[in-house]
Amino acid sequence: MALKRSATVIVLGILLAATAAFADDARMPTVESIGNEVQCTCGGCVAPINQCPMLNCAEKAEIRAFISKEISDGKDERTILQDLSLRYGLQVLSAPPAKGFNLAVWVLPGVGLLVGLSLVVVIVRRWRSKPADAPPAPPAAYDSKVLAAMEEEMKSAGLH
Amino acid sequence: MNQVGSVGLIAALAFAAYALVAGAVGGRLRSPRITRSAERATWGFFLMITMAVVALEYMILTNDFHNAYVAEHSNRDLLTYYKVASLWAGQEGSLLFWTWLLSIYSALVVWQNRRKNRQLMPYVVSVLMGTGTFFSLLVFFVANPFQELWANGTQAFTAPDGNGLNPLLQYHSMVIHPPMLYLGYVGMVVPFAFATAALITRQLGDNWIRITRRWTMVPWMLLGTGILLGGNWAYAVLGWGGYWGWDPVENASLLPWLAGTAFLHSVMIQEKRGMLKVWNVALVILTFFLSIFGTFLTRSGIVSSVHAFAQSNIGPFFAVFLAIILFFSVTLLFLRLDHLKSENKLDSMVSRESGFLFNNWILLALVFAVFWGTLFPVISKAIENTTVTVGAPFFNKVAIPMGLLLLLLTGAGPLLAWRKTSFQSIRRNFTVPLIVAAVAGVVMFVEGVRNLYAWMTLFLSVFVTICILGEFWKGARTRMRTAKENFAVALYNLTMRNTRRYGGYVVHIGIVLLFIGFAGQAFKTDSKGLMQEGDLLRINNYELRLSELVSGDNPNYEYTRANFSVTKNGEAFTSMHPEKRFYKASQQPTSYVAIHPTLSEDLYVVLAGLDPGTNKAIVQVFVNPLVMWVWIGGVVTLLGTLLAMVPSRVEREMAEMRQAQELIVQAGDAF
Repeated sequence: MALKRSATVIVLGILLAATAAFADDARMPTVESIGNEVQCTCGGCVAPINQCPMLNCAEKAEIRAFISKEISDGKDERTILQDLSLRYGLQVLSAPPAKGFNLAVWVLPGVGLLVGLSLVVVIVRRWRSKPADAPPAPPAAYDSKVLAAMEEEMKSAGLH
Repeated sequence: MNQVGSVGLIAALAFAAYALVAGAVGGRLRSPRITRSAERATWGFFLMITMAVVALEYMILTNDFHNAYVAEHSNRDLLTYYKVASLWAGQEGSLLFWTWLLSIYSALVVWQNRRKNRQLMPYVVSVLMGTGTFFSLLVFFVANPFQELWANGTQAFTAPDGNGLNPLLQYHSMVIHPPMLYLGYVGMVVPFAFATAALITRQLGDNWIRITRRWTMVPWMLLGTGILLGGNWAYAVLGWGGYWGWDPVENASLLPWLAGTAFLHSVMIQEKRGMLKVWNVALVILTFFLSIFGTFLTRSGIVSSVHAFAQSNIGPFFAVFLAIILFFSVTLLFLRLDHLKSENKLDSMVSRESGFLFNNWILLALVFAVFWGTLFPVISKAIENTTVTVGAPFFNKVAIPMGLLLLLLTGAGPLLAWRKTSFQSIRRNFTVPLIVAAVAGVVMFVEGVRNLYAWMTLFLSVFVTICILGEFWKGARTRMRTAKENFAVALYNLTMRNTRRYGGYVVHIGIVLLFIGFAGQAFKTDSKGLMQEGDLLRINNYELRLSELVSGDNPNYEYTRANFSVTKNGEAFTSMHPEKRFYKASQQPTSYVAIHPTLSEDLYVVLAGLDPGTNKAIVQVFVNPLVMWVWIGGVVTLLGTLLAMVPSRVEREMAEMRQAQELIVQAGDAF
């Protein structure tokens, strides 16, 4: 028990330290950082605006200019994304916001993971509660003729 | 030639339909004669589809532009190997190609099993040819590549030249990426056929599992290779600096690969312990279902994708076929539940069995998450009438944590013992890897790795690598002591004695290398600029000078090439030559990216075009760390899979024993 408790404390300590060490500083949004969250609406590339490879893509240029203006107005990332979805529709966001019906897209993978885990636990419990294996059955008695033939075949197959 | 192709298709359809029925009848009546007849019809199916493929390739290679498909997807000045690849460039040709690969697999299965598995074979043939019938129907009636070109819908004519191959497809890995992917998709029908035959005949012992495992490894390997080649194509051609964008069609190829991975692991529990029998059948069904679903997703157009060139109205046919597969196989599975009972119990929560269970849990949760995210836009449109996009931010948030858990199991799982792993064994096996990984973790942190996911990936990669190399080391050391061999010989003999186990370890090393490559994405940087001759663009420790802009022309395309001289830390490094091309036949532009790959990072330069106002070059440069490790990881995974498929000495000895036992049984029957 003492070992388990120490292990738990160590793991929790490591997790806390890691969270603190790797915590992102509050970043100022940039066109590039938001550009990964915003889909190009030109219809030719099906990619975030940072990845749209189309030359002179008017939609990409317009959205980038919009983001740039919002940043210079001092808005944070969340507000900028909201404004973008109001102006261009929800499909402009590379992933839908976690509210309303769209909450389902975010929640269900987690639910799936938990349901899977529950299934694994149920299976493991059932397996563990199964009665122990039956002892192996004694070898069947063979006809002496068959045994002689087996010996003969094994010799001819080079197994003796 | 159109007539030859059409005759081939209709004859193939007849052979497939006959083999489907004859196989089922032969199995039901236990008639070897009818079964042989079904098998011969499978050969007929193969020959007729081959004839159709040869006819279409002949028309492509001889520029026969009175065929609508050839006129749409090829042109006179296309390089020969791209002409060959035109076969799978469009809907009709690629479905014919799919059917041809199915016919090859089917012929191989029939030939390989001409003297064995005779009770399973009638139903195996029936399932294979059921799939063949569906695809032949589709190719002949819905997407026939042997149509003439019509002027104004009334008069057949021959076009002077074709529209050419989509410029995005004119890249070397694109020649081999679709065949690999299709070989993977199509090949999953073979394990499904054997599983179905085993369910029908109630022969649910070890035999079908042994056959199915190997027949799953082949398409699993080819599918994985195809996915990576697709990533390589996206990286080199699409010009956005990445190789994986969670595009719906990319996801569609990943789904059967993940399900196949789960099966290849869980099958070991059935082989060793006689457990997870229902689960394994379900996984084979799921893998085949997802293979057909992938083909459906690529072609139906129900989701937006960069693979729009393959879309059409054949979705409903696939939907019906998927429903039939699901209904038929799930019903059969339920009817045979009594024959699929577990033979053993789980002795401990800390064992190889539970390790495989957790591996399957994560893999299937990942399958569900990717499936759900891919289809959510369709569901949202249907229920809410709202168009939403589910792209990389969603998939990265969901898939990366699951991927990290899988990476952990890649190292920890193989070190757990069957039945029960003692605490001493855990301490003995994991202490050194944990210490080395912890030291590496501290070094990485001190060196400035502050992205949590990247840090965890690299930490776990070190842990898993040490775990796996430790297995090789311990095994070789034991052989050195017992067999008095030197290290190299001991390592070789150890591996060849159990190729499956050590091939699997090599695959795991390949997966680690892939993850190291993925972690590099966290440190990607890029820079953009409008440049004229003599201008400099700086990124990290590189300086790119645009030395000249050259325009040119060849029969296939016009191009503008930017010649860059590159320095690194102030010293001459390399020269790079990205191009912007304009393909004449298709009238489409595309970028030819210049990449300078090294083991630590790729310098990736895109010439997006010339700015119309200033006539300056629009240039985007990326520094992509560790990408090379993705390709190396892919090659190592491929080699490991090949090694795992080589029959080991132990397996060969077992096969000889089985052969001897069969002789003994035959001798016994004779008395």
